[in-house]
Amino acid sequence: MTSQSFLTSDIKHPTQNPASLVQNNHVHRAVYTDPQVFKLEMERLFGRAWIYLAHESEIAKPGDFVQRHIGTQGVILSRAKDGGIHAIYNRCSHRGATLCSFQKGNSPQGHQCPYHGWVFAADGRLKSVPSAKNYDGVFDKEKYKIQEVAGLESYRGFIFGNLSEDRPALTDFLGHMTSSIDDLVDRSPTGEVEIAPFVLRHHYRANWKMTFENLNDVIHPGFAHAASVVSAKHVAGQVGGPDALVPTLGMMMANGKPISFFQNIDMVTAPNGHSFIGGHMGADYSPNTQDAYTQSLIAFHGEEKARQVLGQDRHLTLMYPSSTWHARYQTIRIVRPVRHDLTEVIGFNVRLKGAPEETFENAVEYCTGANSAASPVIADDLEIYERCLEGNQWSDQDWIPMTRGLAEVREETDAFNRHPSTAEAFIRNQFKAWAHYMGEV
Amino acid sequence: MQAAMMEDFDLALDAKVRHFVEQEARLLDDRDFSSWLEMYTKDCVYWVPVSREQTSPRDGVAHFRDDYQIMLARTHRLLNPRSFSAEPPPVTCHVVSGVRIDEDAGDSLIVSSSQMVIEFRNRGRFEEDQRVFGGRVIHHLARNGSKFAITFKRIDLINADSSFNALAAPF
Repeated sequence: MTSQSFLTSDIKHPTQNPASLVQNNHVHRAVYTDPQVFKLEMERLFGRAWIYLAHESEIAKPGDFVQRHIGTQGVILSRAKDGGIHAIYNRCSHRGATLCSFQKGNSPQGHQCPYHGWVFAADGRLKSVPSAKNYDGVFDKEKYKIQEVAGLESYRGFIFGNLSEDRPALTDFLGHMTSSIDDLVDRSPTGEVEIAPFVLRHHYRANWKMTFENLNDVIHPGFAHAASVVSAKHVAGQVGGPDALVPTLGMMMANGKPISFFQNIDMVTAPNGHSFIGGHMGADYSPNTQDAYTQSLIAFHGEEKARQVLGQDRHLTLMYPSSTWHARYQTIRIVRPVRHDLTEVIGFNVRLKGAPEETFENAVEYCTGANSAASPVIADDLEIYERCLEGNQWSDQDWIPMTRGLAEVREETDAFNRHPSTAEAFIRNQFKAWAHYMGEV
Repeated sequence: MQAAMMEDFDLALDAKVRHFVEQEARLLDDRDFSSWLEMYTKDCVYWVPVSREQTSPRDGVAHFRDDYQIMLARTHRLLNPRSFSAEPPPVTCHVVSGVRIDEDAGDSLIVSSSQMVIEFRNRGRFEEDQRVFGGRVIHHLARNGSKFAITFKRIDLINADSSFNALAAPF
């Protein structure tokens, strides 16, 4: 990065050596603005990493399916008649039309192409072709099976897909982050969870990585969300103080916590770009509810394990590059790259089966605050992402620093490193993984 | 409309209700948020679900799932110059049509209307800066003589299950 100056580079073709776009704790602006870099990301990063698809409860019955994406490629994830789970590309092997246009549904006889009526089973086998005799002697149905996603594995009911034949086991990819999925499932007083039926979608005109680099950034709330803090305080003044605020306003207010608060909280980074920060962000819910819930959890786990589960104080877990997890308020997001300058985020609520109804309502309130385009906090984030895309198109400065807290490391192990949550260590960690994926031909 | 209903039709009430619904829309377009909030009861619910299949704000996520406090914070934010999704601020034009009293229980009414909202934020992005929203709006009104207050408002956007970019202005 120093070949020309501190700010500008002599990189003319960012895709020739993509790993060189990450240097000395700086990243080249092309990673956000260049459509060719995005195309390569879809091959080398989203084509190789494990991508979160769905929870088994979303396809509980034979014939159930959901439509999801791995990078920019559409896949249909289905439960077959024999109970097996399959993911196939959403594409007829005849003329290429997409087979399925619904987000979810039940289709026990498989998927029929709308164009010429070819019918495919959940695992992609071509079941039937109308006017088959036209194909007499020229057709081998086996040959036109739709490709299944190369790797499909689940951890505690959460299904991930991988497009690469050369891939690690899912649990090796997730590493220390399996503990964040444990954190979510162990909060169920029956040991079972299910995805709630309604989902929230928002999008922004900027790069997918903005979400990953924003969510665990604890310095931005005091500035980007300052107006939410001001308004929450204004309401608190009208209703008799902060204690009288509803949880959504508590979340808005939490953006005003002092930097010293965050300096004391840990950030944990792990191999493959994953991270989480400890400490929940002030969205406290009614203690009575928690008591009823706590009782149900003790009944299931026993007192010691229940305390251990509830003592887990983790804010967002980022499972790079496709999903974010919030166990405490049972919210999962899928981050879906559409174009280099367009990203969709899909928010799901997880119901802890057997927990009091209030527990679910708290999760709904959190998920709405964390995923609605109308959420005062999210709306301001989306605005900032789009401003970054706009500004990063100017040519005055190529290198973007990710140096905050560079000298502050609290612990280094093989499984994870620990930093103060104020550090940009999670961004450096993401780009370390990014450069590794992108550099490998 | 059936003949029997025509006989019962209360033209004066119908006009008052239509005026009330139109007035709410106009206050939003005028960005007169404090007068807008005065049209609501303190225990009101303002709800924009993600699906027409939703029957209660308790059954899942929503675009807006507001009580009076959230509405107060939301509108206070809209007047703050450091609220970045409203910098520059969104301006709206509501078109209200087909206001109809669906249920009249004397001291409460259920009213439906079709509404379209054209929203503009001048971000220098040409056509992208203007958006159109629309759908069926349900008002639950408390009635005290000729005075009304909104206890519940549900907006079923025709694209409720779609993905949205930042929504700063209420519908």
